[in-house]
Amino acid sequence: MSEANITASTASTAPAEQEPNHFRRVLIAWIVLSVVGIVLWIVLAPFILPAAASNLSSTDDLTFIVLTVLAIPVALFVFVFLAYSLLFFRTRERPTEDPPPLKPRPGLQIGWLGVTGVLCLFLFIWGMVAYYQETAAAATPNTLIVQVTGQQWMWTFNYPQYGVSSQSQVIELPVNRPVQFVVTSEDVLHGFAIRALGVRVDANPGEITTTPVVTPTQIGNYTVNCVEMCGLLHSYMWEAVNVVDSSSFNSWIINQGGHP
Amino acid sequence: MSQEATTETTLQPQRRGLMQELFPSVVSGIIVGVVGAVVVALIVNALTQGGNQDATLSAAYTAWVFFFMVGIGAFNDVIKWGFGRREPTHEEEQQLAGKGQGLWRYFRWTTDHKVVGLQYLITTLLLFFVGSLGAFSIRLEQSMPGARFFTPSTYNTIVGMHGIIMIVAAVIMVAGPFGNFVVPIMIGARDMAFPRLNALSYWLLFADIPIIITTLFLGGFQTGWTGYAPLQVAQLTPGADAYCFFIIVFAISTTVAALNIITTVMVLRTRGMTWGRLPVLVWGVVLSVLLSLTAFPTFMMSQIMVVMDRVFQTSFFEAAFGGNNWVYEHLFWFFGHPEVYVIVLPSLAVAAEVSAVFARKGIFGRRMLVGSLVGISLLSVIVWGHHLYFSGSNDPLDAPFMLDTELISIPTGVFFLALVGTYWRGKIWVTVPVLFVVGVLVNFVIGGITGIYLADLPTDEILHGGMFVTAHFHFTLVGAGVFGFFAGFYYWFPKMVGKRLNPFLGQLHFWLFEIGFLGTFISLFYAGLIGEPRWQANIAPPFAVPNTIASLFAILIAASVFVAVYNVVITFRRGEPALANEWGGKTLEWTVPTPVPLENFPGELPVVTSTPYDYGEPEPAPSDVEGSLESPLLPHSQAES
Repeated sequence: MSEANITASTASTAPAEQEPNHFRRVLIAWIVLSVVGIVLWIVLAPFILPAAASNLSSTDDLTFIVLTVLAIPVALFVFVFLAYSLLFFRTRERPTEDPPPLKPRPGLQIGWLGVTGVLCLFLFIWGMVAYYQETAAAATPNTLIVQVTGQQWMWTFNYPQYGVSSQSQVIELPVNRPVQFVVTSEDVLHGFAIRALGVRVDANPGEITTTPVVTPTQIGNYTVNCVEMCGLLHSYMWEAVNVVDSSSFNSWIINQGGHP
Repeated sequence: MSQEATTETTLQPQRRGLMQELFPSVVSGIIVGVVGAVVVALIVNALTQGGNQDATLSAAYTAWVFFFMVGIGAFNDVIKWGFGRREPTHEEEQQLAGKGQGLWRYFRWTTDHKVVGLQYLITTLLLFFVGSLGAFSIRLEQSMPGARFFTPSTYNTIVGMHGIIMIVAAVIMVAGPFGNFVVPIMIGARDMAFPRLNALSYWLLFADIPIIITTLFLGGFQTGWTGYAPLQVAQLTPGADAYCFFIIVFAISTTVAALNIITTVMVLRTRGMTWGRLPVLVWGVVLSVLLSLTAFPTFMMSQIMVVMDRVFQTSFFEAAFGGNNWVYEHLFWFFGHPEVYVIVLPSLAVAAEVSAVFARKGIFGRRMLVGSLVGISLLSVIVWGHHLYFSGSNDPLDAPFMLDTELISIPTGVFFLALVGTYWRGKIWVTVPVLFVVGVLVNFVIGGITGIYLADLPTDEILHGGMFVTAHFHFTLVGAGVFGFFAGFYYWFPKMVGKRLNPFLGQLHFWLFEIGFLGTFISLFYAGLIGEPRWQANIAPPFAVPNTIASLFAILIAASVFVAVYNVVITFRRGEPALANEWGGKTLEWTVPTPVPLENFPGELPVVTSTPYDYGEPEPAPSDVEGSLESPLLPHSQAES
């Protein structure tokens, strides 16, 4: 977009020599602020985003960072142009005469549509590719299966490969081993979500849904939440998720009465 | 046209008795409605031997609405003229429009579109006030971890009522007050196409409000504003029925209003008011009510199905008997997503309208802007699936829904180009309406961009169902929608009420609201990013800090509400009179006197020769010729005087 594209439709409005080149000034402000914003975001993002604890949430976080890098100049474009207009083109009283009218040229309109269209297409393609990578891995015999059942207002977890259920309603997961959650509900809709692992799927009554195969990469203690309104004690429906090393996992399985 | 004074006096007696004043009016409506509801409830209770309180309550709500309408005189005309086979005379029409009835006409079955518009305006403000009390209760509860101030049951009911009351208020906030008061004058009409349906749509809304209030005495409802089944069906207390009937009656009211507005704009435009010259507000309102025609019927159907599940034990949504919760979710979001644009589109149109007037410059690319609003409307009906990415019901459609959703950013970008271009090199008279438009633009950029994160599958995977979503839709619905409403409110209030709102209090209102709003919901974006789910009566300790900050900022919003209420109250009591053309606008409503006379235009209807945005154009005469050439579709019907 250039100054030439926004031209006054009447001839009398050629800017006087003394008048500053508003368009150049606002463009420079926009570019400078965008660069500063993007650099700041890239520096600060690791401190703002919670630590990613699985392969899925790493991809999700990367997508979040990329979208924000694109969002900063887009938002600043509106903010900077608007702020500049309000600062430099304001009048204190009711204006007595009208400024020259501006009309957008076809070039500007097509260019604007082109830029937003390309941005939009990029978002779509990035999202599809990233999500395809996340969901492409199929369950193998090595994949740990955890059956999740939601009910008002608790989760229960079964480990069918070990013939046990988690007695204290805790999900125990071995680090670096792929796991898939198979989710259902006994009564109403619940939402199964482990933020740190980047898995999320609804628990529907009478239906079975699965999450993508996810590999926890960080040992630590996380939470599983219910993210769909499920009634009275919805906000108490969260339980612990512990990612541990494989020997701790095996002893935990034995503890629960299973056979590793 | 004017008739002889003698006929009028015979029709309107000098002195009306108290009974004649009260019947028909809202007082008789309430009396007849309550008596009817109680009688019908007793009959149904006896028939079911007291065993089905949902059936009793459903009957009572239906009877309340019907007998309220009987009591307020909604059917009087049908009986008198429908069966009498006589057209009402002009005097009778004017009588019905509230001629010579003073302030009492606001409490009667009055057909004048300006009366209905003001009724809608006051109702909108009251609903906002009630809804904001719910919002502040929510911020109070979430200010500290644990359920400290309310029980989870009370909290859930507050969240649900805050949500649904605010949604209803936001759906009517522009199309109700401005769509009724301003739009007919803008297009050069003397009233709406169907003045009686106009009164019907308002009084249905009025009768609807007590229904949602009764839920407080019937155990509330636990579903939040979305009313998801089978949770709603499973609830034992009858507070859930109140929610369902609230939606059903509101859907009827909205549909009636929508058909009326569309018909009015199609047939009652004055000579020369071609589609090409239609002010942008009219486009915004028409597109909004067109969308609501696609949206609200499915919402109403879903609630009828829930009521049937509750009353007759059908099983549309009960998995144990072959039902499915996905049915509800899809019906709901098929309504729920267009509904967002029902709210936002007219506010964006208000923003454009106000910008042109105060920048003293035509809208930058007016056709382009209208095109973008049309594009947003078309796309908005095919994107509802993004609410259900992780429901398990539509995995194969994730990609198309994602593409549709992100395509909306293209027409939205065009809207921003139009508004930024309108201010660029304008002569901007920074008044309170302009401040609120700036609020719309700033908030809508944030609301729109955060929508991209929720539309993109990988990021939605960590954000879906969390506070990030809550913050996002508050940025669109409040930040763009309600700020746009307030821009229109400060802009048209002098025309609608004839008095000038205090500009200093208006500025204070804006700054408190905007700063409080940004602080509150940016904190909640962060809470959602680190994983806080929605609808939390009991805040978990990791999310305490952003919630406390959000609650502190909400104090500023609360202060802004009281500043606004104070401003409106003192202006009604002793505001200085406004000019007929308070801001120097060029749309037709600024050409008529204030207060606007009955039938709007004294004498002949105006003839329109150009668009209302030709600021800085040398002469409108040439564009008149162009205008008639480029728009061959001249209106067939002129509102006859």
